[in-house]
Amino acid sequence: MLIELKDVAKRYGEGPLAVTALADIDLLIDQGEFVVVLGPSGSGKTTLLNVVGALDTASEGLVKVGGVEITTATRRDLFGFRAGTVSFIFQAFNLFPGLTVRENVQFGVDAAGSAADPDALLSSVGLGDKGDRFPHELSGGEQQRVAIARALATGNPILLCDEPTGELDFRTGVQILELLKEQAGNGRAVLVVTHNREISRMADRVVELSSGRIIGDGPPVGGTSPVSELHW
Amino acid sequence: MGTFPLLIRWSWRDLRTHWIKVVAIALVIAIGTGGYAGLASTTKWRQASYDLSYRRLAMYDLRVDLATSSVVEEGTLADIAAGLPGAAAIVAMEERLIVPTQVDVSTPTGSVLVRGEITGSDFSGGGPAVNSYVSFTGRLLTEEDDGHPVVMVERSFAKFYEMEDTGTLAVSGSRELEFVGQASTPEYFTVAPEGETSMTEATFAALFTTLETAQQLAEEPGRVNNLVLTLTDEADRAGVAVQLNDSLASLPVGTTVSTRDDNLSYTSLTTDIDQDQALFNALAILLLAGAVGAAFNLIHRLTEQQRREVGIGMALGVRPRVLAVRPLLVSAEIAVLGVAFGVGVGLLIANAMAAVFTDMIPLPVWVTDFQIVVFARVAAIGLAIPFLASVIPVWRAVRVTPIQAIKPDLTGRGTIVGLHRRTVRNTFAVMPLRNLRRTPRRTLLTVLSLGAALTVLVGFLGIMDSAYGAIDTAEQQATGAFPERIVVKLDTFHLTESPGVVAIGRAESVASAEPTLRLAGSIHSAAGEIDVFVELADLTNGMWRPTLTAGTWSDEPGVLLAEKAAADLGVTVGDTVTLRHPRRGGLDSYTFVESELPVLATHPHPVRGVVYMDLGHADIFNLRGVTNAVNLLPQAGATTSDVQRELFALEQVASVQSVTAVTEAVRGAFDQILGIVQVMVVAVLLLALLIAFNAAAINLDARAREHATMFAFGVKVRTALRIAVTESLLIGIMATILGVAGGLVMVWWMTQDLLAETLPDFGLNVVLRAETVALVAVMGVLAVAVAPLFTARRMRRMDVPGTLRLVE
Repeated sequence: MLIELKDVAKRYGEGPLAVTALADIDLLIDQGEFVVVLGPSGSGKTTLLNVVGALDTASEGLVKVGGVEITTATRRDLFGFRAGTVSFIFQAFNLFPGLTVRENVQFGVDAAGSAADPDALLSSVGLGDKGDRFPHELSGGEQQRVAIARALATGNPILLCDEPTGELDFRTGVQILELLKEQAGNGRAVLVVTHNREISRMADRVVELSSGRIIGDGPPVGGTSPVSELHW
Repeated sequence: MGTFPLLIRWSWRDLRTHWIKVVAIALVIAIGTGGYAGLASTTKWRQASYDLSYRRLAMYDLRVDLATSSVVEEGTLADIAAGLPGAAAIVAMEERLIVPTQVDVSTPTGSVLVRGEITGSDFSGGGPAVNSYVSFTGRLLTEEDDGHPVVMVERSFAKFYEMEDTGTLAVSGSRELEFVGQASTPEYFTVAPEGETSMTEATFAALFTTLETAQQLAEEPGRVNNLVLTLTDEADRAGVAVQLNDSLASLPVGTTVSTRDDNLSYTSLTTDIDQDQALFNALAILLLAGAVGAAFNLIHRLTEQQRREVGIGMALGVRPRVLAVRPLLVSAEIAVLGVAFGVGVGLLIANAMAAVFTDMIPLPVWVTDFQIVVFARVAAIGLAIPFLASVIPVWRAVRVTPIQAIKPDLTGRGTIVGLHRRTVRNTFAVMPLRNLRRTPRRTLLTVLSLGAALTVLVGFLGIMDSAYGAIDTAEQQATGAFPERIVVKLDTFHLTESPGVVAIGRAESVASAEPTLRLAGSIHSAAGEIDVFVELADLTNGMWRPTLTAGTWSDEPGVLLAEKAAADLGVTVGDTVTLRHPRRGGLDSYTFVESELPVLATHPHPVRGVVYMDLGHADIFNLRGVTNAVNLLPQAGATTSDVQRELFALEQVASVQSVTAVTEAVRGAFDQILGIVQVMVVAVLLLALLIAFNAAAINLDARAREHATMFAFGVKVRTALRIAVTESLLIGIMATILGVAGGLVMVWWMTQDLLAETLPDFGLNVVLRAETVALVAVMGVLAVAVAPLFTARRMRRMDVPGTLRLVE
């Protein structure tokens, strides 16, 4: 298993003011799976993503990602873990404004020390002719595609996507989801966090959270739908 | 709950969150405003102190000197002055006898033998009434001391050699005198004897005594050779001088009438203020500009960070002028702190400089009042700048639609100046330069602010380097091939073959001796006139000859001018000038005549009045076979002290000095000024560090999301720090280049323009030593580069998930 969570909990604060963001989380995700983590605002889905990506630490339980037990890893090890195991795609894109599109993808190569070819990756996301542009010269959808290319440039086996279509219109969002689904087909584990139930229809598996607990974990109701059938 | 109390509470939270930045920006303002106030205050109270001191001790308006070795009966000069048509303008006058001498104040621990002069004045009736004295230790002389072998020692000299309040000393001819105190008089507020520069207290001992005592020492009973007068404030000084000059022509001896403005000690202090004021103003304005620019930039960026919240407020229907209160409150806090710190910094700088000046210059009155007007002026600037810096971003925030202000800048819109599109293969290496170029206004303002501060530093240090450079040139000119050369000045003219002069050459400690002549005069051309000291020496076969920059001496009579003199007179090698000089008439009488002489060559001595001629042309002065100074080389193993001690007993010897004595004394005097320079160096270093730290801290806030993204991708904190340090380094390099260039311009202006007007007798070249450039580079580059390291802790403790979360 690529991602293992066992009895994971995450609490903020102490005593009567403590907030439980996650509780009793057991989750296993393998390579090639496209998993959507679904839940309303405050359900703990982003916290779950941050714990898996070692941006946050679990208060209890075991978190093992890519063979690395990150609950007991040192701070130095966690940097290496993020560089070599997981790659993030953010709702707000978070591209570097001072770098060109190609250089933003190159950043992913430099951060992970991979051997990926930025131009090839840009072509794979349909931006082969925009390598010399700067982020502010692209549309939202194009920027998110650059972010995906950057994440792919690391060569890491796990993609963690936090509301990747949140800033995009429907048509563009669908294109992004297609790209991400493609990566699952290429053997990566793709974890998408969203509050949009419609998006969950395209998943291989939907993990539904409520108040920090998993209330559902299985294929989407009615089976997995192709991206083209989605509508929101 | 009203909006205003909420805004106050919110602003208090802002202050607590950003207190380090607020304090740091306030300190930036404080250094700029306080530095300006401190420097400007110095000028104010120096002016007041000099005016009061000269008035209290009745500095002369006019002075009459008889030609060298000439004396007249007591009362002669006073009678002539009293008989002038403009005599009604004379408030007081004093006849004096001034006698050159050697002074021995050696102690068991050290030998001190210097040249000097004894000034005898009338102390009867509480006098003298002109150029009176102030006592610093011991007592003042009174008329009871008439005829007794007692003197007062000039304060600066006595302080330099840490003399006791009272004791004994010896003068030429091994005559012992009792000194009863240390005193000062207007002509010696800074020691600048004739033929020398100012600040030469280490090599010149002025002794003050009664007129009768001076006459006994000089063996000239009832005679005088000097007159000083004060005039009413409304008097036409130049007119009275002309009358005096005309009346004195009837005397059988040569006379010179001069005003207080011809007195080097007086002018070097009074014009010093004008020169210093212009210099301090320029440097203080630069410092203020650097600080103001930096503060403006930093406050502007701090306020920009609140732009989104202003937009949200507008979307909720709050009026813009109410929303402006929060950022303006932060500015108010910075302004108040800045002014408060500024007063402290200003007082610190003013007091530090006051300590240096009061130690250097022995005035009877020092006025160092707190200059409320000066401080109020800069306080107004210190208060205004933070508000102005906030107004612009707040105005920008309220003039757009709320949604434009609210929407986060996810793409970093803005001018990206000159960003090339050629891909680099190491994005970490290219990020620093890209970051600077994508915010060109901010980068430019930071570079200019730092550059202004560094310009001040280079200006201060460059002036010192140029001054030391001139001293070095003078020293090289004086030493020539024999740095051990000694110059013996005689009390008057003597025949070269006279026993007194021969005895000098035959002294045990002397290896060789050459007679020379040293005479005062003036040179004029169509372009102007300058006072000069002509030194005649054997330029062909003698032990010393000047270094020349153009031309050469020849068998023809002619003058070798300083380069500055030639430039000021508008002449070059081959041109003719008119030399006004003394010419011996009878045995002891001299008159001033004029001779047309060609300019044979120029030399690099920084004092423009230094003129050389070959001794073979002494006929022009009717002084062939006559000498008043001797160049010596000591025996191997003999020191200057040995020669001084051996010649001290000879009555005809007025002084025995190493050729480097004067330059060493001036160098020592400049070393005292280093205290002021050190204060400015610390102030500039602090300012540069504060500017750089603030810029780094605000950058950290502005780029938080980028850093968080990097960390999310596993990039280490030290990599992000390295990028920030590199960015700072680039700013430091640009600022240093700007600072050195600006500083050079400043030094050029000060040495070639300002000094040319206020101290025309000195020619300084622009010199910037390698050590100075290295110091500026260290401060401007390294100190600025390390500033981001102070944000390392904040970077390490960043809430990465919280920063990455899109705030909706």
